[in-house]
Amino acid sequence: MDIITLENVSYYYKTYDDEGAAAQASGVEGINLTIREGAFVALVGHNGSGKSTLAKLLNGLLVPNSGTVTVCGLDTADKKNIFEIRKNVGMVFQNPDNQMVASIVEEDVAFGPENLGVPQPEIVERVYSALEQVGMTEYAKRSPHKLSGGQKQRIAIAGALAIRPKVIVFDESTAMLDPQGRREVLSVARELNKQGMTVILITHFMEEVYGCDEVVVMSGGHIVKIGKPSEIFADERLLEAVGLDAPRSVALAAKLKSVGFDVTENCIDARTLGVEVCRNLTK
Amino acid sequence: MLKDVTFGQYYPADSFIHRMDARVKLLLCLLFMVGIFFVTSFAGFAFITVFLITLIASSRIPLRSILKSVKGIIVLLLLTVILNIFFTKTGTLLCKWWIFEIYDGGLYFAAKMFLRLTYLVVGSSVLTLTTTPVDLTHAIESLLKPLKVIKVPVHEIALIMSLTLSLIPGLIDETDRIIRAQKARGANFDTGGLVKRVKAFVPILIPLLVGGFRRAEELANAMNSRCYEGSNKRTQMRIMKLSWRDFVATFIALLFFVTVFVVYGMQSKWATADVGWLYINGVNWLYF
Repeated sequence: MDIITLENVSYYYKTYDDEGAAAQASGVEGINLTIREGAFVALVGHNGSGKSTLAKLLNGLLVPNSGTVTVCGLDTADKKNIFEIRKNVGMVFQNPDNQMVASIVEEDVAFGPENLGVPQPEIVERVYSALEQVGMTEYAKRSPHKLSGGQKQRIAIAGALAIRPKVIVFDESTAMLDPQGRREVLSVARELNKQGMTVILITHFMEEVYGCDEVVVMSGGHIVKIGKPSEIFADERLLEAVGLDAPRSVALAAKLKSVGFDVTENCIDARTLGVEVCRNLTK
Repeated sequence: MLKDVTFGQYYPADSFIHRMDARVKLLLCLLFMVGIFFVTSFAGFAFITVFLITLIASSRIPLRSILKSVKGIIVLLLLTVILNIFFTKTGTLLCKWWIFEIYDGGLYFAAKMFLRLTYLVVGSSVLTLTTTPVDLTHAIESLLKPLKVIKVPVHEIALIMSLTLSLIPGLIDETDRIIRAQKARGANFDTGGLVKRVKAFVPILIPLLVGGFRRAEELANAMNSRCYEGSNKRTQMRIMKLSWRDFVATFIALLFFVTVFVVYGMQSKWATADVGWLYINGVNWLYF
């Protein structure tokens, strides 16, 4: 079943030149995209490719200038639907510090359910089950600003989960984190997807795309390609054109293949490549 | 450079006072502040001193932390004492030098004002040292709730307070980063006259302000994404419960202040006009 549908969606930012005349800078243009329930979709693109604009269109933070965005059958352009849409689409943003609303972890996670008007005993239950899902239960009474970047982002994920959404959007949530923090956030994202959550991962790190069902490549406000990770990695010319790098292991596998080794193109990380090489050597 | 800035003065410990409900503590603190203006005799101040010592002892706060907050108003205290000594002209003249005259009445008033202001600060710092800023925010929201009837946006006020509390550590970090970045480019904050130093802070304030707006926008997006509407159907996770401690404390405090008021009532029969003037003086200082 399709949970999110974008039909011919365009969004323009209003900008002003030095004389104060209004001009339109393109955010995204002519986007057609459907996201299946339970899918793990990666949205990749260089800075300014429009991927964050697209993310904000998914829960009605932005409303398209033309075209329609439908979430769970509801049009985001209709103000009456906004509350219901945001209940279904959780968002985790880039900067962990700028999404904390309270100075105690459990109260921050409780912000969503409090807004929904959930009765108090259920709020506690939702908060603790969300914290457990991200493995942060022991930090419930702590102050978030003393935690690491990865831990703060996991709190932000718990904050979104406490609303019990069907879709969770990671809007470059790993961009400001160290490698350890990125691994933490990604493993939570994959775990959530395994439990049936629809996950939309927006990133410019190509190696994070590994394991996704579908990769959407964006450039200049347009979708330039949609495909499986292996298809995208194989298309070197496309990646170069949009300014993205395939993981080194993929490039190396392609070279090995071109000189006659029997390796799959799926070598998204060094480990898979290693296994493939070993298999070739012991043959 | 700014790492040692801590917000609020909460002193973590496990005591009777720490465990009390923040609302009760806040109300009793207000009662104490009002009550202290009804104490006029030195015997009364001795009574209050015993009360405060008991309070501090049962809160397990080191005396040093409390004295630290008194240190904060030392200038105000000295000013009050000096003004009262030289400008009160009641009682007998003790000594006279040039235009300065010191009366014994002035000394009494100065001493009383000193005690009164010191005790005000000590009393309120017991509140802030034993209650986290978060608890205080919740207490204020809960106590202001009746004002919702006359359309005071109580929830919004509380939310602003709690957002401010949660953003302060981030702002401090950012200020620190900007200062280091400007220093790396040769900015100098530590030398020169006052004007030069103030000017040197402009390159810190501007990026901080711009960053503040960016933060505010991101925070607004995050809040919207988490279904914030600011409506009345909002519920709360935290429930504040009164325990036996709160009733015991309230009982003791009320007993104490009834005594203070009764004693004041007996005294006021022979209270002079000067005492009345002192109240006005005291209230003025309170608003300072």
